[in-house]
Amino acid sequence: MDEKAYKAKRASEVTQLGSTQTQYKYEYDPTLLETFENVHPQMDYWVTLNADEFTSLCPKTNQPDFGTLIINYIPNIKMVESKSLKLYLFSFMNSGEFHEDVVNKIGKDLVKLMEPKYLEVIGLFYPRGNISIHPAFSYSNGDEKYNEIEKYRFLNRNLNPQRIG
Amino acid sequence: MQLQKVDIVKNTKLQYLSHELLFLAKSGQPYRGSIYVNFMSLGETFNLLDFKKYITSLRDKKLNAEDIAYEIFLTITKSIETQNLGIVVDLTARGGIQQRISYGNEFNVVHKENIFQVR
Repeated sequence: MDEKAYKAKRASEVTQLGSTQTQYKYEYDPTLLETFENVHPQMDYWVTLNADEFTSLCPKTNQPDFGTLIINYIPNIKMVESKSLKLYLFSFMNSGEFHEDVVNKIGKDLVKLMEPKYLEVIGLFYPRGNISIHPAFSYSNGDEKYNEIEKYRFLNRNLNPQRIG
Repeated sequence: MQLQKVDIVKNTKLQYLSHELLFLAKSGQPYRGSIYVNFMSLGETFNLLDFKKYITSLRDKKLNAEDIAYEIFLTITKSIETQNLGIVVDLTARGGIQQRISYGNEFNVVHKENIFQVR
């Protein structure tokens, strides 16, 4: 594919990137997510997306929660477009979510969207009542290699916990 | 919003900070940042629960980023008497540009991280 065709294909795949009429939604909406095609599916490579401004509400008290989300994945055919991810994450702003639930919900939405080889979502939430919660979601597509990665990362998470800050 | 007064010792130096500021740009895009409030007491401060509720109330308020420090300054001065009140707001980058907005008396902010929060 020549450069011009490649750029045209990329541009046709996503609608929100570059839009000057961006609509922000503040209630959970997974339909905001968009993908583009991975043109290197034969390669295994990591993509890390850091979202430092994640916020949602406590489902019981409606008090705001804040945290950093770290999304690591090995793409297959589809990759999540980052502006759509930003809008999707903003859509949690007025949604009531427990930390443990929301990390799993985001992980499942991204798995459904991209069908990646491997994906993990880690939430580093701000402390509430002196306790910070750091849930982690992981998924493998079932191939032996990615199952091994999932198992290794699951078994080795937080072996050396540290207090940071 | 009115913040409830709390009587404290006069001439106490106070600095409050929060990394949990969120309000909306005119476009609707959320702004995130930290706020720092600094003043010398004239015998009173505000109830911290009220202040938390006030900060939370900004989540659905649309403002120019440059006006956020004044908005907070005004709310405090409407609620309590202070000496040398200053507000600093540090916003996270948008389009690669970071903003620090201040209103009132100048002061040096004390940077403190949230315990256990990885940054």
